[in-house]
Amino acid sequence: MTALPSFVLADQAGGARRFPPGAPAVLCFVKEDCPTSNMVVPLLEALYRALDGAARVWLVGQEAVGNALLVDRYRLTAPMLDDSALRVSYVYAVEIIPTLVLADGEGREQGRLVGYRKDEWQALFAAAARLAGRDGPAIDWDAYPDWRPGCGSRTLEPGIAERLQAESANGPLRARRIDIAPGDDEFEFMFDQGLTDGLPVVPPTPERVLRMLTGTRRDSQQVVAVVPPNMAPATVEKVAANAVMAGCKPAYLPVVIAALEAVCTDEFNIHGVMATTWGASPCIVVNGPIRARLGMNPGVQALGSGNRANATIGRALKLILRNIGGAKPGGVERSTLASPAKYTMCFPEAQEASPWEPLHVERGFEHTDSVVTVFALEGPRGIADQISRTGHALAASFGLALESVWHPKVRPYGDVLLVVCPEHAETLRQDGWSKARVRERIQAVAARPLCDVLRSDECGEGVPAGRWGPGGPNAEQLKTLVPKFAAAGNIHIVVAGGQAGKFSAIFGGWVGGPAGSMPVSRRIDE
Amino acid sequence: MHDSVWFETQQIPAVFVASSAFAGAAQAQADALGLPDVRRVFVPHPIQDATDDEMRAKADAAVELIIAALTA
Repeated sequence: MTALPSFVLADQAGGARRFPPGAPAVLCFVKEDCPTSNMVVPLLEALYRALDGAARVWLVGQEAVGNALLVDRYRLTAPMLDDSALRVSYVYAVEIIPTLVLADGEGREQGRLVGYRKDEWQALFAAAARLAGRDGPAIDWDAYPDWRPGCGSRTLEPGIAERLQAESANGPLRARRIDIAPGDDEFEFMFDQGLTDGLPVVPPTPERVLRMLTGTRRDSQQVVAVVPPNMAPATVEKVAANAVMAGCKPAYLPVVIAALEAVCTDEFNIHGVMATTWGASPCIVVNGPIRARLGMNPGVQALGSGNRANATIGRALKLILRNIGGAKPGGVERSTLASPAKYTMCFPEAQEASPWEPLHVERGFEHTDSVVTVFALEGPRGIADQISRTGHALAASFGLALESVWHPKVRPYGDVLLVVCPEHAETLRQDGWSKARVRERIQAVAARPLCDVLRSDECGEGVPAGRWGPGGPNAEQLKTLVPKFAAAGNIHIVVAGGQAGKFSAIFGGWVGGPAGSMPVSRRIDE
Repeated sequence: MHDSVWFETQQIPAVFVASSAFAGAAQAQADALGLPDVRRVFVPHPIQDATDDEMRAKADAAVELIIAALTA
């Protein structure tokens, strides 16, 4: 038999009632607006009078005003305990009102009834009388119906359940609590604490964090990643708090978790990305079925504003890097200029508008997988080509635009992202162009003779002549074509955007390869 | 900075050298890593476009400071 939780509650006379009381006890959880509670209150009054002295019969009421009404309405002499804070109802796991609990003299549970079934109540009253060593009350059970449903406990009402779980010592929250004075504006408080990206954040109250945690099956204390630059462990709970702050729905949390895992890898090197003066930032591309389930926007203004999932998933990752990792602008975050992509950059691929395999399949996942791919990128920039009708001509426009990333003369360059709009994708589909062919054409168009891209007094940046030894390149070498990108595979291609407009976009990157940042994909663990 | 802190926690004196523009970043990181007084020497900013001769001059000016920091 389970020992029931101990408690102290005040009765209607203001006296403290302690459980276990050192005698057999019957506890009945009631509330005034429950018809079945009203029906059983007189039964409990009768039981109280019959067993008084030998056993305790206590009503546990869930609303202060309602409790007083019940006391007056039925002229109760039995103790009506005030559980308007609902803490006892919560720890007793009461879900239906009335709930009737029988305890022996040591406070161990001997029986529990939910709702009202006459035969069960008769049996429990008899058991209580036996425990008390008394005769039970004389009740005309025939006057009562055989069965009545209960009502939902107040502990299950929206907002209350989360509050009680948050207050519970056995709850999933372990983060430090911060109490805000009643006179303080909680939104201003978040600004004052330095926990925002400059825009208001949703205060991560325990109730909101608990709701966010319903979005994942992971344990709240599991460490998702150790986040640079401060090498701080990011638990699921802390990730959820930042997701709340960003404005995420619970369903978005698995995407945020996957993105955080992806950036906190040696390949992606988030430490370098956040500390460099360049100004790159993680860009999240989402593929697979989860896009539709979350209502993400791959269409009109896919790279812009207006969609909650796009906006808040990206923002949550940035807030985690700031608030957990410690990458704060002016501190370790040293971007000379950066871009609005530092606030958020997350969008889904418009797979349905693509003539090609989607990004995640290209990177080795199944079509049915939901996947995030993270890139270290600047903000996007448009490429207009409203004239080209062939893949050959259109891919040239992409190449000319992509040559400018970082600096037109700097090569070989690392990873970039080309976002092909649906109208451009359709042009390429009609002309039968594969992604590989687009990449080859970009490399061909963006290649320049070495003599045009060497560092010089005309334009300081470029390829250092010292790569060809102390004497620099010879006449033959000066004529060789130097591609823009280290490999065609550095040019990553996805499809996104509205159906109208022959406007694609490019994202420049940072430093590529093992010394910089490489794209990383992670399956989303739903 | 992370490496400096690692060496110091192994009881091996370490000093890091950076350009003066990163003094604030260095302090923020040192504070976050729990070693706010980590040894450091700053040379004049910038580094990126400095010629080899300019770099040698920066190094010559810094070497005594580096030794002093390591032996303090």
